Amino acid sequence: MQNSARSFAGICLIAASLFFIWSSAFANDVTFERDIRPILRAHCFDCHGATEEPKGGLDLRQVRRMLQGGESGTAIVPANVDASLLLQRVRAGEMPPGETKLTPKEINTLTLWIAGGVKIARPEPDTIPPGLGITPEERAFWSFQPIQRPAEPAVRDDVRGRIRNPIDAFLLARMPEGLTFADDADRHTLILRTHFDLTGLPPSSEQLQQWMNDPSEDWYAGLFESLLVSPNYGERWARHWLDVAGYADSDGYTASDLERPWAWKYRDYVIRAFNADKPFDRFITEQLAGDELSGPQQGDLTSAQIELLSATGYLRMAADGTGSGEDNPTGRNQTIGDTLKIVSTSLLGLSVGCAQCHDHRYDPIPQTDYYALRAIFAPAMDWQNWRVPAQRMVSLYTEVDRQKAAAAGAEAGAIGTQRAAKEKEYMLQALEKELQKYAEPLRASLKEAYEIEAGNRTAEQTDLLAKYPSVNISPGVLYQYLPEAAEDLKKYDARIAEANGKRPAEEFLAVLTEPAGHLPDTNLFYRGEFLQPLAVVPPAALTVACSEDARVEFPLDDPSLPTSGRRLAFAKWLTSRDNPLMARVIVNRIWLHHFGKGLVPTPADFGRLGVPPTHPELLDWLADEFVQNGWSVKHLHRIILSSSAWRQSSRRAAMHHALDPDNQFYSRQSIMRLDAELVRDRMLAVTGRLNPQQFGSPASITEDDAGQIVIDDNETRRSMYIKVRRSQPVAMLQSFDAPVMDVNCERRPVSTVATQSLMLMNSSSVLNHAAKLAERCRAEATPIPDDQLASLPFLPAPSHEAWQYGYGAFNETTKQTETFTPLPFFTGSQWQASAALPDPTLGFVLLHATGGHPDQPNRAVIRRWVAPQSGMLTISGSLQHGSSSGDGVRGRVVSSRAALLGEWTCFSSTVDTPVSATIVETGDTLDLIVDCLTEITSDSFQWTVIISLTTADGAVQSFASNAGFQGPPEPRGLVVGQVIKAWQLAYCRHPELDEMVTSMTFLADQIGYLQTHRDQIPAGLTASQQALTDLCQVLLTSNEFLYLK
Amino acid sequence: MGIGSVALAWLIQQEAARAVPPAIKQKPVTDLKPRVPQAQPQARAMISLFQHGGPSHMDLTDPKPELTKFSGTDYPGEVQFSFVNQASKKLLGSPFQFHKHGECGTEISELLPHTADIVDDICLIRSMHTGANGHEVSIRYFHGGIPGVLGRPHFASWLLYALGSETQDLPAYMVLTDPGGHPVDGVNNWSNGFMPPLFQGTVLRPKEPRILNLAAPSHLQGTLQQQNLALLQKLNSRHLEQTGGDADLEARIASYELAARMQTSATEALDISQETQATQNLYGLDNDATREYGTRCLIARRLVERGVRFVQLFLAGQPWDNHSSIGTSLPAICQRVDKPSAALVTDLKQRGLLDSTIVHWGGEIGRLPVTQVMGDQASAGRDHNGQGFSTWLAGGGIKGGMTWGNTDEFGHRAVENVVTPNDFQATLMSLFGLDHSKLIYHHNGQPQGLTANRPAKIVTELLL
Repeated sequence: MQNSARSFAGICLIAASLFFIWSSAFANDVTFERDIRPILRAHCFDCHGATEEPKGGLDLRQVRRMLQGGESGTAIVPANVDASLLLQRVRAGEMPPGETKLTPKEINTLTLWIAGGVKIARPEPDTIPPGLGITPEERAFWSFQPIQRPAEPAVRDDVRGRIRNPIDAFLLARMPEGLTFADDADRHTLILRTHFDLTGLPPSSEQLQQWMNDPSEDWYAGLFESLLVSPNYGERWARHWLDVAGYADSDGYTASDLERPWAWKYRDYVIRAFNADKPFDRFITEQLAGDELSGPQQGDLTSAQIELLSATGYLRMAADGTGSGEDNPTGRNQTIGDTLKIVSTSLLGLSVGCAQCHDHRYDPIPQTDYYALRAIFAPAMDWQNWRVPAQRMVSLYTEVDRQKAAAAGAEAGAIGTQRAAKEKEYMLQALEKELQKYAEPLRASLKEAYEIEAGNRTAEQTDLLAKYPSVNISPGVLYQYLPEAAEDLKKYDARIAEANGKRPAEEFLAVLTEPAGHLPDTNLFYRGEFLQPLAVVPPAALTVACSEDARVEFPLDDPSLPTSGRRLAFAKWLTSRDNPLMARVIVNRIWLHHFGKGLVPTPADFGRLGVPPTHPELLDWLADEFVQNGWSVKHLHRIILSSSAWRQSSRRAAMHHALDPDNQFYSRQSIMRLDAELVRDRMLAVTGRLNPQQFGSPASITEDDAGQIVIDDNETRRSMYIKVRRSQPVAMLQSFDAPVMDVNCERRPVSTVATQSLMLMNSSSVLNHAAKLAERCRAEATPIPDDQLASLPFLPAPSHEAWQYGYGAFNETTKQTETFTPLPFFTGSQWQASAALPDPTLGFVLLHATGGHPDQPNRAVIRRWVAPQSGMLTISGSLQHGSSSGDGVRGRVVSSRAALLGEWTCFSSTVDTPVSATIVETGDTLDLIVDCLTEITSDSFQWTVIISLTTADGAVQSFASNAGFQGPPEPRGLVVGQVIKAWQLAYCRHPELDEMVTSMTFLADQIGYLQTHRDQIPAGLTASQQALTDLCQVLLTSNEFLYLK
Repeated sequence: MGIGSVALAWLIQQEAARAVPPAIKQKPVTDLKPRVPQAQPQARAMISLFQHGGPSHMDLTDPKPELTKFSGTDYPGEVQFSFVNQASKKLLGSPFQFHKHGECGTEISELLPHTADIVDDICLIRSMHTGANGHEVSIRYFHGGIPGVLGRPHFASWLLYALGSETQDLPAYMVLTDPGGHPVDGVNNWSNGFMPPLFQGTVLRPKEPRILNLAAPSHLQGTLQQQNLALLQKLNSRHLEQTGGDADLEARIASYELAARMQTSATEALDISQETQATQNLYGLDNDATREYGTRCLIARRLVERGVRFVQLFLAGQPWDNHSSIGTSLPAICQRVDKPSAALVTDLKQRGLLDSTIVHWGGEIGRLPVTQVMGDQASAGRDHNGQGFSTWLAGGGIKGGMTWGNTDEFGHRAVENVVTPNDFQATLMSLFGLDHSKLIYHHNGQPQGLTANRPAKIVTELLL
């Protein structure tokens, strides 16, 4: 696919479309360098300047050359607009050909310049080198300027009080009159905001209480300091970096999208680096050149070497199809191109990709610069001497591991030898048995033929064996002759497996390394085509990011290193004090993740096509502060978190509507939706199911019936540990904007679509989270005393048709239920006599959803159903007794109207218990009585029935004994306690009174509805349990849960 | 960016402000309720059948006898190539036959027999021009109004912003992607850019179930889920009030309301089993080659029938990008889309919906009249051409049975009545009763428009 979405031609032509210009022009000061050259660069230089032989002989790079003109004569006539051929052709739409024309504004600028006498800003040299070069005007672009620490600006007196640190001063200084920061957010909001911001997880109730009640002045610093040392901090901030690095657990590029089994080693490296606050310059250097720093391997890899090599996983993140059928020049160059894109967007904040085919049309990046960057990586990524992913693995086996493996192998081998000998012995025995079936001399001939190796047999012998195939004893038929032999051999197999099991698991790193002394040339490709290599380009830094007279070239080879040293030199340049880009790019990213938008809104494009910084001084101050403080990311967090800008409320007030509707001045904190991973992580956290295990190989994913990729419900690690398969994005995460890694993700969009809402309303995973939260609330709730419930609504009383649970006796004479005494105690899953089992007086009587256990003959268990309406009923079901001890049980169905309807005994068996049609009136009872016969031991039974009631109007209602099973209604105080618990867990706060009233009203409505629609209560739950689950689902899917204030 | 800050500036700016219901004036757009356009609209909905890759107009819709005559000789002028190393100036005559069709007599290639049947209903523009050969640059031009620039709202987002939606039960802007994957430029094909999420496109899954989690689990269906949603709405409103208003929170609340209604309405809308056998066959559902695309075309009709404002169909990757073996690759993709596309127009017309529904069929570019050298002759194909290509429109106030504009004698450059994507957008906007130059959205304090103040003219000759 030569012109895919990632085609260079396509990307580069974006440039052709630029419609704006970046300087306003006035007749009296229009100069060539500042105003005209950018227009010509965008529209004309491709043919008239960039190439060695300009079209029509016309070179537009200098005014003197324009005056000199080309084959059609002079291009411009100073102060004579009408005589200037250049302008004529442009105005007529003849030039530039085909491509987007100049805008009217651009033509106007050109006209003004010619009319004004073609002014130049400085004398033009007689000769210039080929190519477009970089002009002082281009060099003057903001992002290429050295980073200088600006002084703290003056701020209006009325808002000075809001300054906590220089960040605030820089922001306040730009606010218009009448605007200032919003008030500080309340303590609760700040605690939540800081927790999610730094760790991506909600505070535990203990943490929340601790910070809510901390009386100290600097409680807030204590809060964020405690979170900065949390192990979860690294997970949260690593995830941001992994987006830009393009992290995935698969190779991509081809349809097979092979798994990338050791990518997670890099993911874990990043988490550890953030947790350790590894200085960012070091962090970058390790990722670019960890192998160059790691030194030669002597014996086992040291832990330091492992860390350094893991870091180079960064350069192995690009999609790479060369391991799955695309090991060809196109596939290889694509991987190199993608790697350069990841490096340039993440570290330089520039899209250098355009310069792969030609000089960048908007940013001063000559094509040679692109290939100079490429040359830095060429020794490790040589498209003509390529290593596919499998060839880039480094084993983590130690010498001890190898010895253990060898010993295990030897042991397994020895057992294998024993097994072979044993098997041979058994085969001979089997042969003898088989031969017994034949008389001599045939027997001897067969034996002789069998024992000769197949190749050496005579034709006669071969024929003989073919005639008597059963003599060909093979291991597979041994069991027919010697049943015990197969069992015996299995024991050997088990021992072999056991020996092999002693082999230590071999782990690997996916690394970028250079073969020793490998220094391939890097050619500039004409129009980016590898089939058209031109001159060799040496490794060098981006020209425009170096000072004018000091272009930084990197040595082809560093003799002090076993590697070329090119990437190390590049890293050194990137992280040097003079580099104008990297510190700005990094602080902008950190800012973006704290505030939801960057100071430079285009975090991966600091060039002319990007958006300039909204607060350039603040950006530079932060960059300088970052570098001055040892490139400490945690230092940046501290100053940002300490600022009034970050601490302010997100509440929109009147001044915001009037003066800052889009929040461009940072006059309030942004309301931010949880990232995709955090939505799931928070649900896991509040249900108490979050598995805190960090690091390691990723959790697997599966495809469900609908074809969407899902996470197994029992997998409860944080979402960043879920496998990232490029071709199989997890539906729930993708839905909330987790990136699908094509190359890398410079910035996540935040979408709001109905399909997300459907997922929150209906997906089995969300419903499951809700059920789990409800379970937790029931388990942990504290009942609220009745005297505090005065203002809350009541819950419906249990409805009449409910099942009842008791014990008693059957009267053999009247064939009626003689006594029915309700069982008083409910364990949560079964009714019994008391908390003790056996109960001191009533023994083993118990009933649960599907069965129960009777006690003595006069203490049968009775499951009673009360008819809600009159009608005709039938019963189906089956009674099951499992134990082979005792004498089984007896089941009876007894109607208060029609006496005994059926009777069955059952001992270690199952019997159907049908009851044919019988009439009931409203309020009649139907008892399912089970007694022990004579023996009272081993009497556990299962008995579920379905009662079908046909009413006078012909409607049929079904009542299943298991689905209808329920405990006693929960006391109102307990339900209130559960609701409070749900609020505390989901929202980290106590509900307000109005919210309690709302919740209890909701529960009352749902319970009332469910009592008349029992078929909608899932099996095993009561109406109030289901209602609580529904309340929990609402909380988990509400805006307060999904967004941070 | 806040939705609260969105002012319907075009309503304020227009001269005839008093024609506007006063309640709407200056009120920020925070919903998708139907809104009154500036002028009497002809169209109320649009279905765009976007053909990624650049359909070869010389082989499909723009016959060039001179090209056939001089096939094998050099193109006499300058050619704008994309893949220079495979460039050739050798003209490649179309191997396919053209015939006149319909009362209008428009010539259409044998590769599009069904499109040929509807020529009297369509307006064939033969002079489209983006000026750039790249796919992405031209795709973004068509969707967002500026060549190549990302982060701009799609044409459909502008429609929703200006007009709201006629249905509150389905997403107003829906995208139907291909089972083979996303088109080139991926999700940028349906970006709401700097506009709030309310104006986002909703992507239907390319296979059943088209919408995941559309049905409530059986135990929640009906009253219970209504009670859940009522509680959710109550909690969300309380929360919104505490924040003082926020576009994202409002959009989330709206998306729940929409989702709840979609459970019935979308299930019904997507159920094509309600269609007669005759209708299904019209779209080619009885044939393996056309079933998939035909199904999506049929769904598109059902959606606009139910008040959806804008539906766009995409193909995976860019199947019209016939750089090589055009003799075999082009007929294959034609077979897949020709019949369903024509069926859509026929079906809309039969139902009286064509008058108010615009159908668009076209790619972002066309192809060059010269051969792209890819080895032997059989594997020859054509390179990109943003200088001149074809697109057709039907319905919604577009004149049928006409062609507009022309490319040069060989088909490289649009030379007569050139139509740019901005002209195209302005023309479509006018059919919806909107003035492209006055429909303004303020982003970071800056007024923004779909055509971004670039030259854009309404091609009145195409309108009824």
